[in-house]
Amino acid sequence: MSPDLAKPLLQIDRLVKRFGGFVALDGVSFHVMPGEILGLVGPNGSGKTTCINVISGLYKPNGGEVRFQGRSVGGLASHRLVHLGINRTFQVPKPFLPLTVRENVEVAAAYGRPAEGPSDIEAILASVELDGLGNKTAAELNSVQQKMLDLARALATGPRLLCVDELAAGLNPVELDRVAIRLRDLARGGMALLVVEHLMGFIDQVTDRVIVLNAGREIFEGVLAEAVRDPQVVEVFLGAAHVG
Amino acid sequence: MLRTKALRHTLFILLPVIAVAGLLPLAYSNQLLLFNFVVFLTLAQGVNILYGFTGYLPFGYVGFFGVGAYGFSLAVMHLHLPPLAALGAAALAAVLLGLVLTPLLRLSGAYFAIANLAASQAMFQVVSNPNLTDITKGPYGISLAGVFAPNLSYGVAVAILALTLGTVIYLRNSRFGLALLAVREDSVTAAMAGIDVVRTRTLAWQLSALVAGLIGGVFAWYVSVFYPETVFSPEFSIFAIVFALFGGVATITGPILGVVVLYGIYNAIGISTPQYFQLIYGALIMGLVLFLPNGVVSLFRRWGIDVP
Amino acid sequence: MLAYAILAGLIFGLYFSLVGLGLNLVFGVMRIVNLAHGDVLMLGAFAAFWLFKLFGLHPVLSIFAVFAVFVAVGWPLYYLVVPRLLRAKDPEMLSIIFFFGLSQVIVALASIAFGSSERSIPGRVLGSGPYQILGQSFPAAWVVTGGVSALAVAFVYLYLYRTRLGYVTRAVMVHREEALATGIDVHRVSAIAFGIGLALSGIAGVFAPFMLGSVTPAMGVDINITSFAVIVVGSLGNPLGTVLGGIAYGISLMFMQTYFSSWANLLPYLLLITILLVRPSGLLGRKVRSA
Repeated sequence: MSPDLAKPLLQIDRLVKRFGGFVALDGVSFHVMPGEILGLVGPNGSGKTTCINVISGLYKPNGGEVRFQGRSVGGLASHRLVHLGINRTFQVPKPFLPLTVRENVEVAAAYGRPAEGPSDIEAILASVELDGLGNKTAAELNSVQQKMLDLARALATGPRLLCVDELAAGLNPVELDRVAIRLRDLARGGMALLVVEHLMGFIDQVTDRVIVLNAGREIFEGVLAEAVRDPQVVEVFLGAAHVG
Repeated sequence: MLRTKALRHTLFILLPVIAVAGLLPLAYSNQLLLFNFVVFLTLAQGVNILYGFTGYLPFGYVGFFGVGAYGFSLAVMHLHLPPLAALGAAALAAVLLGLVLTPLLRLSGAYFAIANLAASQAMFQVVSNPNLTDITKGPYGISLAGVFAPNLSYGVAVAILALTLGTVIYLRNSRFGLALLAVREDSVTAAMAGIDVVRTRTLAWQLSALVAGLIGGVFAWYVSVFYPETVFSPEFSIFAIVFALFGGVATITGPILGVVVLYGIYNAIGISTPQYFQLIYGALIMGLVLFLPNGVVSLFRRWGIDVP
Repeated sequence: MLAYAILAGLIFGLYFSLVGLGLNLVFGVMRIVNLAHGDVLMLGAFAAFWLFKLFGLHPVLSIFAVFAVFVAVGWPLYYLVVPRLLRAKDPEMLSIIFFFGLSQVIVALASIAFGSSERSIPGRVLGSGPYQILGQSFPAAWVVTGGVSALAVAFVYLYLYRTRLGYVTRAVMVHREEALATGIDVHRVSAIAFGIGLALSGIAGVFAPFMLGSVTPAMGVDINITSFAVIVVGSLGNPLGTVLGGIAYGISLMFMQTYFSSWANLLPYLLLITILLVRPSGLLGRKVRSA
């Protein structure tokens, strides 16, 4: 089945997530098209990671809807969402440390049920520049390599939607460039990406469109260049170190 | 690659162990001692399946063993089943107990261990309760003299050991085993690798329950006369755990090594002076936790020798 | 019969609070599961037995000797093992295995030293004749034990809530990392709590001959289960919650013994499992579930 390019792949509608009395998501709505890279920006605590956690099934929503390929998927278990084609990377990756790098990816390829058929593990490792490290255990990787392994794990399940949570933090400028190119390649292949990132330069480089979140609501939708001229966005970010 | 490794492990570990266990009674007359070795080899691997591959430490592992022994005995006494069919009842009893206790898997490590211990003690209290004497013979114990068949039951015990070793070899060399280790390491990341965390864990839990239930059933068959405190003795759990930890879990050879070395020492010095053996393995456990948490086998790995 | 069950339950409840208190204090401060808790209690019981047998020392007085010795042993023991365990990936799991080993060593040494015969101290040592409370009569030994247990609980309350050391100890209980960052000597605070925790278990042991039956080296296993039931019901890591758990446990035990005596042995196990599954945070709340 080929993705219908005219219809949103992911549609978030008035999504609510509460933790006790704290409202982390207060009716967020947005959508992501196939092949699109959507940036999710906002100050700390604005609900970006919570949003990804709900989309990837870590949290059950308290209200609103998550539609994926037209189907309501809010509250499904994570592994079922993975089988449907949703995956993510983690801000602090927790790879399977005693397993080898190859086994880390292999297990995701075996259990992720990629729609395109079995994933080429070596190609995925090469695409995140972990080729040659396949026989090392994940524990032997440095933190940037662990982030890349986490990305490889997600890619091995053949996602249609990939949520990327602060992948860029801790990377040097050369690595940043390479990751940006890699993400754009994935989008060109038809994958939709939802990118949470603090580094505005990186957001500017990779995204087609951004949603600005504040206190669990979206306050802006459009291209980043316009976002920085929006008075409400400027107010939210004023004084915050992330501008720039 | 996984297949050739599994074949190698079958040829060079499973077959020799089974051959020795199966043929030694021809050369050595103390069959009961050999039988106990087979029982502990199986139980230590059962602990290995659960603790090594999921991280849940079953302090009440004997619960499955005891329930298997009683499942077997009740099937023989009340349903008059032949022993081999009664082993089915032993397996069923253990798997049913596993099903009832599955919610314990929601608890994190230490709480699971304690709750599991409590569950096994509760089973003992139920089975040995004088109110149930008509069904379980209560505290007065079981006598199955009619089916007593030491040679046949010994052979069946060896077959169950073979099955158990085969299961561990499968886990060491399969994607399913890899998935279990992934879940053990981090359940959130495992779920995002597409693994059904709950189902995977539950399967390993039931496999390990099944193994203990079967060997418990054969134990009842082999000894034929026993008391509830015999088959629910916490020593079965303790020994199986100590043997597995000593050799190293999530390996095939670790628990075998643990049983051969430690149960060997036990039989050399432990039977006449059990407290000295208790002192030795207690101190060993403390030392292992502090200095060698992955067991003796990990020492070989540190020296660059890959031990399966 | 009802009034008797409730009052006896309260007395035993106070004692069970003392039985669980040390275990819960250690867990609360350093997240260490002391599986040798029951065996430390057993050592306290033997200490009381020998002090009485050899020197005729009154059990209430032997409390002080037990307290001093157990704190003196627990303090350095903390530095020997606990920091090492806490550095591991899963300290709770590792500690349960380590203290299981220690438990086996203690039981083995006690069997070698004392043999496996059952020891007891006559109940009249703690006072002659039954006490009358609200028209019900109870053995003097029970009442004295209940009173001492209440004092021990009060002592822990004063230690945690009325001293500078207790203030810092509670800070460590809430946030070990942050306490470390604010310059609190976390290890010193924990070592003291560890020593006091062991000493409390030892004191509970002093009264074991009167409340739990005869003393043997192997008595620790059942005590562990009971203690875990008590502190899980009360709520893990909250020392004063132990009192609630102890009394709930004591009263339910007395009810079981009065009305369903043949099934009373099942109580600690079923209570422990049920609470862990239904309300894992205990009656006062704190999360223990992983997923």
